[in-house]
Amino acid sequence: MSRTLHLGVFVETTGRHLAGWRHPDVDPHAPMRFEHYRQLVEIAERGLFDLFFLADGLAVRDRAAERLGRTPKAHFEPLTLLSALAPLTQHIGLIATASTTFNEPWHLARKFASLDHLSQGRAGWNIVTSSSQAEADNFSLATLPTPQDRYRRASEFVDVVRGLWDSWDDDALVADQQQGLYFPPDRLHTLNHQGEFFTIRGPLTVSRAPQGYPLLVQAGSSAQGIELGAKYGEVIYTAQTTLADAQQFYREIKSLAQQAGRQAEDLRVLPGLFPVVAPTRSEAEEKFAELQSLLHPEVGLAQLEHHLGGVDLAGYDLDGLLPELPPGREYTSRAELLINIARRDKLTIRQLYQQVGVARGHPLLIGTPADIADFMESWFHEGGADGFNIMPGWLPGGLNDFVNLVVPELQRRGLYRTAYQGQTLRERMGFKRPASRYHQPEQEITHHG
Amino acid sequence: MSTKQMHLGAFLQDAGHHIAAWRHPDAPVGAGMNFDHFHYLARRAEAAKFDMIFLGDQMTFQYEEDESLGRTSRGANFDPLTLLSALAVSTRDIGLIATGSTSYNEPFNIARKYSSLDHISKGRAGWNVVTSWTGGEARNFNRNEVMEHGLRYQRAQEFVEVVKGLWDSWDSDALVDDRQQGLFFDPSRLHRLDHQGEFFQVRGPLTISRAPQGYPVIVQAGSSADGQTLAARHAEVIFTAQRNLAEAQKFYREVKSQLADWGRDPDSLKIMPGIFPVVGESAAHAREKFEQLQELVSPEIGWAVLARHLGGFDLSEYSPDDPVPDLPLTQGNQSRQALLLAFARRENLTIRQLYWHVNGTRGHWAVFGTAEEIADTLETWFREGAADGFNIMAPWLPGGLDEFIDQVVPVLQRRGLFRTEYAGSTLREHLGLQIPESRYTTHKAVT
Repeated sequence: MSRTLHLGVFVETTGRHLAGWRHPDVDPHAPMRFEHYRQLVEIAERGLFDLFFLADGLAVRDRAAERLGRTPKAHFEPLTLLSALAPLTQHIGLIATASTTFNEPWHLARKFASLDHLSQGRAGWNIVTSSSQAEADNFSLATLPTPQDRYRRASEFVDVVRGLWDSWDDDALVADQQQGLYFPPDRLHTLNHQGEFFTIRGPLTVSRAPQGYPLLVQAGSSAQGIELGAKYGEVIYTAQTTLADAQQFYREIKSLAQQAGRQAEDLRVLPGLFPVVAPTRSEAEEKFAELQSLLHPEVGLAQLEHHLGGVDLAGYDLDGLLPELPPGREYTSRAELLINIARRDKLTIRQLYQQVGVARGHPLLIGTPADIADFMESWFHEGGADGFNIMPGWLPGGLNDFVNLVVPELQRRGLYRTAYQGQTLRERMGFKRPASRYHQPEQEITHHG
Repeated sequence: MSTKQMHLGAFLQDAGHHIAAWRHPDAPVGAGMNFDHFHYLARRAEAAKFDMIFLGDQMTFQYEEDESLGRTSRGANFDPLTLLSALAVSTRDIGLIATGSTSYNEPFNIARKYSSLDHISKGRAGWNVVTSWTGGEARNFNRNEVMEHGLRYQRAQEFVEVVKGLWDSWDSDALVDDRQQGLFFDPSRLHRLDHQGEFFQVRGPLTISRAPQGYPVIVQAGSSADGQTLAARHAEVIFTAQRNLAEAQKFYREVKSQLADWGRDPDSLKIMPGIFPVVGESAAHAREKFEQLQELVSPEIGWAVLARHLGGFDLSEYSPDDPVPDLPLTQGNQSRQALLLAFARRENLTIRQLYWHVNGTRGHWAVFGTAEEIADTLETWFREGAADGFNIMAPWLPGGLDEFIDQVVPVLQRRGLFRTEYAGSTLREHLGLQIPESRYTTHKAVT
């Protein structure tokens, strides 16, 4: 069968656009309404999506948002929410962000394995490091660890989690009532990990997950993030604005993965995409203009300052070019991307925040179903993407539009499935089920001449 | 007639509370990881109008790698919070309580997870606050040994304070959702905690709006002196192991009398001893059913369970007909050890008798009898100042709970001792607990 697109939906309470919650079709209470998420996951499953993704942060990270009250900053905790959605869905992958900076490997290993069992093989973990001081402030840490330390910890964290996921062999639970043997002891493994950050005995108290390991997702595109993704990531979320950049990223991470002993097809690269779609271009433009009109200037500016790493832009003319930013600070990959876009396109502060407030570093596509499908097809066929992480501007409307209008167009072109196949998320993503470290397939014997 | 009624909880543990329950002919396959099994139990308890289901938790494999390994069903379970979240959508009324450790968690993570469950369930979440006392748990969380008992409780105390503070982050009317003005929440109704303590420094605010119950219900289960202090200060429900009426009355009086020290009303804390009921056509028949379970206990597991209850002391090398020797308290679960040793002394038990005792009922209060007899006992405890309700620990599942529900609950209802319908829809309403006021409602936010 020919290669087809993988699609995920990135669910940010009421949508990607910062003013999405003000859209007339959006329930402003939706961020804290379970029924909202239930409706979204039903739409996504109707659209045959692979992934339903909830991001997470461990603080109201944006202090301006705390002060202003103009954005939806109250939301569910992702793992409890996905666990509640699991019995209500059948096919779609359930992906949650969880921080390696402010968690313990044992907790996360257990929760994701538990979700994988509850969903019969549909759980995924988006591995992140927490990069804001606001989060450190909620976890008794006066100073945020450096990116290097955070990523070293993340790498060891994932290694430990995978080790814990191998605690039980697939066939460990024999539950032999006659013999009084619940499991043969040689099918249970104690990890005894001793590392720089963690000393963990194991074993885990959840039997081996239906997928072997829940799917591993990675999203940071800094050098360290890419390295982590190349080593462990199976789905890679990334922010790329041009095909050339996307192609370069795609090549780089897959070749790094190969250097790490993996195959190029062990990773699926899914750039983010913010579509505004309507039957005609002018209708699409109208929809977008409506959203933009709802963006409050205080919110736009605060969001820009936040994405630039907390710089203070007060006092600058909103209609002047983005000023030189203070040197000597460490900018995230996202901040550098935004600065480069501003320089390249000669954007004013207002223009930049409008752009930031919309897609925040991801491509914004406004057009007909054919326009959107053209874009996706070219990235997909020209080595820029294996699929996309769809970021609807407002919810559920933006997702409904995509499923009703773009999905049939993709199907017509043979780019997308017309029915779910396979039982687990891994099967749908075309991945092998990972073997336990205690049962690696026989190594191929190499003959030395 | 509006008399006081008792509260009932279903304490769910894989195939049941008896250690050999998984070998019972009716035991479901892989009970600890069988979602349909828990779904059935939750629905059943809800149909019977129970106040709550309760999932305990230990973050380790419970037994050491000796000959007992592989002989119990206790090692493979769902994570309780993910399981309760999944059950929240297929139940409507029943309370959902899970254990969460204060020893190996961060307050911020616990505060938001329980608040999230409270929102998902529309006001039915409860947190059983524990300190973790097993060496196995320590070794899963970067420690060689268990934190000292007193220190563990100091940490727990501060942990609960921080969690409550975080639960107050948002006023209940903070989300104004004013689309016209572009105001999602009123910033003056969002509070940051800025907690600076011995164990934790937490700024806040929490990223989830105020829970439907204000705070999820706080439950406490340790009965040591430190545990009682924690309960007197914070808990709204206590799960406790009490073995006879006099001891239970004493515990009840002691705990309730401490409430005044914290400015609390005696009714603001519900004491619910665990009960291990075996229902039969007669008391003898009930015992027979119990003996059938006892026969399924293998000696390898029997000695390991006894050692665990005694803080790690292995008595398998002693002569089984010797009296139980004097043993010091360890850093482990002191209230359980002390309770068990006192019981052995009072009853003049041999090692063999103690062995059968812990393997049968895990040191909890076992009641054998007809439905009427069991209802009599519960009524006595309830009326005579020993209990506000009971945590039902069915010996095997689902059968043991089914029997209690089908036979004992109707008797209690007929006597007016237990509800026939839910009067409210939140766990607080079932328990008759007030919604806690936010610390900011009286003194306004400082911006």
